[in-house]
Amino acid sequence: MRILSTVLVSSLVLLSSFAVAQEKEGQKPDAPKGAPPIPGALSKDEMLKLLQEQDDRQRNGGDYKALAYLEQKEKDKADVVRELIIFRRDADDKLMLLFTKPKSEEGKGYLRLDKNLWSYDPGTGKWERATERERIGGTNSRRSDFDESRLAEEFEPKFCGTEKLGKFETVCLELTVKPGIDVAYPVIKLWLDTVNHNQLKRQEFALSGRLMRTAYYPKWQKLFSESKKSDVWFPGEMRFFDEVEKSNSTLVLMKSVDLSNLENNMFTKAWLESKSR
Amino acid sequence: MISRTVLLLRIAFRNLMVSPINLLIGALILFGTLVFVLLGGLLDSLSRSMERSVVGSLAGHIQIYSAASKDDLALYGQFGNDSDLKAITEFPKIQEAISKIDGVQMVVPMGVSGALITSGNIIDLTLERLRDLVRARAGQGGREELTSLSKEELDAQIHAEILHLRQIIKVLRGDADRAMADMLSARAVDPHNLEALHRVEKDEFWDGFEADPLGTLEFLENRIAPIVTDTTLIFLRYVGTDLDKFQHSFDRMKVMKGQAVPAGQRGMLISDLIHEEQMKLKTARRLDKIKDALANGRVIATDDELKRFVKENRSQTRDIVLQLDALKTAEMVKALQDALGSKETELDHLLSALLDTTDENFQKRYDLFYALVTPRVRLYRVNVGDVLTIKAFTRSGYVRNVNVKVYGTFAFSGLEKSMLAGSTSLMDLMSFRDLYGYLTADKAEELKEIQKDTGAKTVSRENAEAELFGEGAEVVAEATPGIIDPDTAITSTGRRLREDDLIKRVYSQKELDDGVMLNAAVMLKDARQIDRVIKEIQRVSDEQNLGLKAVSWQKASGLLGQIINVFRVLLFVAVAIIFFIAMIIINNAMMMATIQRTQVIGTMRAIGAQRGLILAMVLIESVVLGVLFGGIGMLTGSGVLGAMAMKGIAAPNDVMYFFFSGPRLIPTVTTGPLVIALVIILFVTVASTFIPAWMATRISPLRAMQADE
Repeated sequence: MRILSTVLVSSLVLLSSFAVAQEKEGQKPDAPKGAPPIPGALSKDEMLKLLQEQDDRQRNGGDYKALAYLEQKEKDKADVVRELIIFRRDADDKLMLLFTKPKSEEGKGYLRLDKNLWSYDPGTGKWERATERERIGGTNSRRSDFDESRLAEEFEPKFCGTEKLGKFETVCLELTVKPGIDVAYPVIKLWLDTVNHNQLKRQEFALSGRLMRTAYYPKWQKLFSESKKSDVWFPGEMRFFDEVEKSNSTLVLMKSVDLSNLENNMFTKAWLESKSR
Repeated sequence: MISRTVLLLRIAFRNLMVSPINLLIGALILFGTLVFVLLGGLLDSLSRSMERSVVGSLAGHIQIYSAASKDDLALYGQFGNDSDLKAITEFPKIQEAISKIDGVQMVVPMGVSGALITSGNIIDLTLERLRDLVRARAGQGGREELTSLSKEELDAQIHAEILHLRQIIKVLRGDADRAMADMLSARAVDPHNLEALHRVEKDEFWDGFEADPLGTLEFLENRIAPIVTDTTLIFLRYVGTDLDKFQHSFDRMKVMKGQAVPAGQRGMLISDLIHEEQMKLKTARRLDKIKDALANGRVIATDDELKRFVKENRSQTRDIVLQLDALKTAEMVKALQDALGSKETELDHLLSALLDTTDENFQKRYDLFYALVTPRVRLYRVNVGDVLTIKAFTRSGYVRNVNVKVYGTFAFSGLEKSMLAGSTSLMDLMSFRDLYGYLTADKAEELKEIQKDTGAKTVSRENAEAELFGEGAEVVAEATPGIIDPDTAITSTGRRLREDDLIKRVYSQKELDDGVMLNAAVMLKDARQIDRVIKEIQRVSDEQNLGLKAVSWQKASGLLGQIINVFRVLLFVAVAIIFFIAMIIINNAMMMATIQRTQVIGTMRAIGAQRGLILAMVLIESVVLGVLFGGIGMLTGSGVLGAMAMKGIAAPNDVMYFFFSGPRLIPTVTTGPLVIALVIILFVTVASTFIPAWMATRISPLRAMQADE
């Protein structure tokens, strides 16, 4: 067993070294600068650093706006499709989702303020308090899928091995939520690319240990941010497979992202209401 | 022929009491017949009562729905779920075809569904009212009753709501101080909440309200309201229907509070039982229940449930305290001090003392509660005239919220306490259709266009990893900034104003009929015609290609409708066992009797009696025995049923209200069980006597004489 793990770790180190060598030769353009390859077993500090890296890459110092496509497939039902705009102000932990398509969904939205998640329907003019487990627009996506990544702040990591995902070597971390923090899923398994540290796969578990959702992140995009003075990363594509209703799946595509400043008074109920008045 | 029959009857009656075995056989027949007539009569009465409940409350005589539906129709749900029925889109055509069938009185379109209604806690509700008032004052629209108020009236209402909020904050601050004083509780107090409470209790915070009302409201909504966690969740099951037709067809329906929904308008009538059970102030509801229990002879001192109610009333006073502003609190304190002769100044302590009810003081305290407390608080979470927001997952997968005005509450006569009949509320067809969210061709085309524009690739779960991360997969890409403008993305504005107008709109009968429905109740002029009309509907449906399935009320009520059948089967099994045993005993007894009478029968044969006479003699003896004791059994059973009918059988619980079609079941004696009992008796006696009778015919005079020697 010891021999096996030594061979595994050595292979991983070799593979990583090979990837770094390729990067140096300019043959692997998607490996980010300053992302050292992940060795085999990781210490707690190394894992925390990895999580912080995930959060930092996706965090923008200023504002963030994205146009997203949301599609839900269910057995024996027509596809549910939507377009929405995601507004984020990471400095104040604020998030707003505004649905723009189809017509029946126009003006509906979500607003996160001070740990409160509100949903709004212009048809009734009512605001309703939602929980972290709210299925956004009735799909299998959650608020946290659209929000700033807070993995290091919210979870404790544990190393759970290495694995090959398609052509990518990955390292697996098991995250458990810290006490007193409300999240949609208390236990998460992450598969990170050993070369450029991108999150490729994620499995989310209920407190009972039941697997609830498997997510894949096959596209990561980066955009230079003036306020951050470096790249902001965002998942260009997210695919969620429901592990309870096996035939259901959700797709999120980021169609475009804009990092310019948003209006000051934007993250308010009044602003969201005004869009459909 | 007649003289021969009279002779045989005389012989039968003479032999009746000769053998003690006959008495045993008679007792068995009597017992079996009594059980059958009594239980059969009760079941018949129960079946008729249940029919009245089902037909009169929801189903009508016949239900029709799409034959292409995934599930069978179960109006009361099947294992907690509603049936998955295919939508019917051509109701006018169906209505026309079915109405022409002889015996059909009316066709009432329907659809059953359910939704969760969530309402925030007391602070959320107060802040929502305040937000509506602020909006109306700023000329940003809202409900008519607010927009029609003058600025002074709106100012006054805003001031009153602020006073109420400040009183709530004072109560919460008191709670926090008390918790902080205790070492263990202090740990649970969030310093973040303390800081927020400290800020909003100051005058400066409220002085800034006029300058920035919405900013103030957002602080209260996000920092103060989450401190209170008593949100309400009500599951509302409803039938979307043509309310006018429903009221005319289901004549047991009566409006309890408020009024019927005006003809052609959107609106709903909430089941009165749901209104009382789930929407009433919990303390008041518990007091009502204690009152009912005491009237039924229960006593608080020894009844665990009633003791629990009293305990909960004493400890759960917060629902009342948080509803009052400073002025109303002072008024109530004074009123309770006077009524209870107390010097206590804390309202929750006074309420707790008021609600410390015993068998002796209950009526006085109950009257005091309704005289002093309820006029100052909101007794029901939803009142007549309120607009209820109903949220449902539509068939097309989208979440839909619809505002529906509550015009009143209703119940079905005799079924006021039945949760089965009273669990369903009534909604207009237009609101139901909005919540159902049928995917029209236009909508489907719009969705297809969005999908086409995006060009998203479908990836199966099984191949996801290979397809997404296999050879050739590139995970990282540079993005270019895009221009995203929410104002150009949203094209239809003023949606809420349009939807507010819908509440007032009057729909024509054509508009009500032209649209989606899931099932329909067919009311008949004569309930006995159910089977014939079902066949006719099926024939018309096949001829005109309507794709319908027609079922009786019993089938439409799902498992519930089968309960009577299950009882009936059990009764038949029990009676069959009794009579099977009786048959064996009668057979053996008659064999023995025949052997004992060998000499008599032989002699009769010797003096010229034919075999037919002997056979008839033995059979008639058995039939007389069966008819006599069976008759006594029938009379006794009918007598017992008659005696029960004088007072009726009280429904032991709310579930039985539905089966009894009211608080009492009045059993009636019908010919059905009596005729069946008679047929069974004749069959059993003749069948069990046939072999001994045949044996008797085989006895020869010679053998009879030899036996004598």
